[in-house]
Amino acid sequence: MPVTKNTLALATYVVLFLIILAAPLYFDVFWLNRFSKFLVYGMLGVAMALCWGYAGILNLGQGLFFGLGAYSIAMSMKLASPTSLAQGSDTPIPDFMLWNAEPGAPIDLCCITNGSFLWIPFKSQFFGIAMGVVLPTLVAFAIGSIIFRKRISGVFISIITLAVVLLVRLLVVEAQPFTNGFNGLTDLGYLTVFGHEFDPYYVSTYYLIAISLVVVLVLARILVQTRSGLILQAVRDDDRRARFLGFDVPAYQIFFFCVSAAIAGYAGMLYVLVAEFASPTFMDLAFSITMVVWAAVGGRNSLLGACIGAVLINMVEATVSETPQLIEAWKVIMGLAFVLAVLFLPRGIAGLVSRLGYMIVRKPQKMPAARADAVDAEPARAG
Amino acid sequence: MSTASLTIDGLTVDFSGFRAVDSVSTVVDAGELRVLLGANGAGKTTLMDLISGKTRATAGKVYIGDTEVTAMSEHAIARAGMGRKFQIPSVFRDLTVRQNLEVAASPSPGVFANLRFALPSSTTARIDEIIELVGLGDRVDTDAGTLSHGETQWLELGMLIAQRPKVILLDEPTAGMTEAETMKTAAIIKAMRGEHTLVVVEHDMAFVKEIANRITVMHLGKVLAEGSVESIEKNQAVRDAYLGSKGIV
Ligand SMILES: Nc1ncnc2c1ncn2[C@@H]1O[C@H](COP(=O)(O)OP(=O)(O)OP(=O)(O)O)[C@@H](O)[C@H]1O
Ligand SMILES: [Mg+2]
Repeated sequence: MPVTKNTLALATYVVLFLIILAAPLYFDVFWLNRFSKFLVYGMLGVAMALCWGYAGILNLGQGLFFGLGAYSIAMSMKLASPTSLAQGSDTPIPDFMLWNAEPGAPIDLCCITNGSFLWIPFKSQFFGIAMGVVLPTLVAFAIGSIIFRKRISGVFISIITLAVVLLVRLLVVEAQPFTNGFNGLTDLGYLTVFGHEFDPYYVSTYYLIAISLVVVLVLARILVQTRSGLILQAVRDDDRRARFLGFDVPAYQIFFFCVSAAIAGYAGMLYVLVAEFASPTFMDLAFSITMVVWAAVGGRNSLLGACIGAVLINMVEATVSETPQLIEAWKVIMGLAFVLAVLFLPRGIAGLVSRLGYMIVRKPQKMPAARADAVDAEPARAG
Repeated sequence: MSTASLTIDGLTVDFSGFRAVDSVSTVVDAGELRVLLGANGAGKTTLMDLISGKTRATAGKVYIGDTEVTAMSEHAIARAGMGRKFQIPSVFRDLTVRQNLEVAASPSPGVFANLRFALPSSTTARIDEIIELVGLGDRVDTDAGTLSHGETQWLELGMLIAQRPKVILLDEPTAGMTEAETMKTAAIIKAMRGEHTLVVVEHDMAFVKEIANRITVMHLGKVLAEGSVESIEKNQAVRDAYLGSKGIV
């Protein structure tokens, strides 16, 4: 069987999966806790590659979906916190609501502060989990329907998504009695599913995240290899051509925009499990843009590339930031890497590695120059 | 005898006072190849925009067979049986030649209906035939973005065939081609005739004589004349307005 770029991609997937699944054998729980955050970022890389690389939608507000997922689960976990149960009421009440309540307000979720009743269903952690994916998907559907049905394209999509995430961030900060504003949701309880507590320092929590990443990567990969995935890439290349071939172009864009949002929301939930807080900083512009950088450097046309890019960049960053003098330098390096990737490596590290790997494997057969070009172009689909 | 495949009835568009297409009516029979002639700015491309839904008509109606498509959106008109090639060739540049054809041949339009992998084997076989017909056999795994100008045009023709529309609109399919490429394009278009109804905008008279069943001449947004190649060549109004002193060569 000839070695194709697909075999190489498959091999990379397998190696990555083995590494992340075997990590608990070699590392302690503190390191695993830290590493699982990086895996969550890797999942964000997948969402970004799907949206930007495959659908051609440069979403500068991905943090919105991450944040919605994070807040949904954090609300449930906040209500499960021992502190919330010790506020002088039979039912759980978040501590900050008491601080923000009008004097004499009843100590009950129904009416302690404005909008506090919206917290009631989050007493069920299943509801919180469901909302963590449903809410980002619905919001993405609403935003996507407007953007894509109105045929807004290119940089305007970026501007709108950017504006929306900043708007929501402002609302979250302003709604202090409902969200604890700037401080976010801290002092959370554990997520408990079928009697199992997901303590952030349990190996089981690490495995939940590692397996989630594997599943998300595989499903996303399968999705882009369906006919819909191919048509989506066609839409990215030339939406007018696709329209005149009879495809309802906005339906494709909205669908994949929603899938990307769902993945980001799910990542947000997993992040809260290990980080034990949800904060408006998730919706900072800087965070959303950082995701774009991960995908650009890792390779936005490759789900795997963007994923590994996000994980590796964060691992290096974590090491570097232990040395204070290097922190500023790191920002410059990342900025530079981004510019270089955009200018010279549109397929990112994934494209480079895939080309090198292919050349090494094929060397004995002496590949004609024309084939080398074709391989260079390949990772768009191989990712 | 033959039935109407494309019926245009009083089609008009008004660009704030300027009628780029003015009460154009014509009937194209099933399997016919109609050539649309006219000087630059006569309104040929605009007429195609109106038929295919890219531009909204101010007045008039368009039918594919018996179905009125006037007010439909572009993709709905395409699904009703209309294919269109643009003046500037457009293909999916980052997909391979075969993938371009697979997208075009996709039997269903919806995103959920397409959450599956393989195409039906009959479709795959048809794609192979189309690759053969447009002569891109050695380019199937090449990215469409790296094709030559001529090859891009042929791929787009292939995509239209794969789409299987009743009516195909071609806007200057030989623009910018060498003579050899033009010949090959003529052969492809002739092969399309019969199974599809074609409306072709073309300036190259030798090419027109080679392919046309009937000709419609447009001038300043209106239909000036319509008929067989010979009758158009003889038509005095056409000579005066469009061909000037040169005549059809
Ligand atoms: N959207 C528009 N708004 C205003 N005027 C337009 C618009 N679209 C086309 N026109 C005008 O309509 C006229 C017809 O243009 P059209 O492109 O249909 O000509 P054509 O016959 O295709 O010419 P060519 O042979 O150069 O392609 C031109 O004068 C053009 O400027
Ligand atoms: Mg034109």
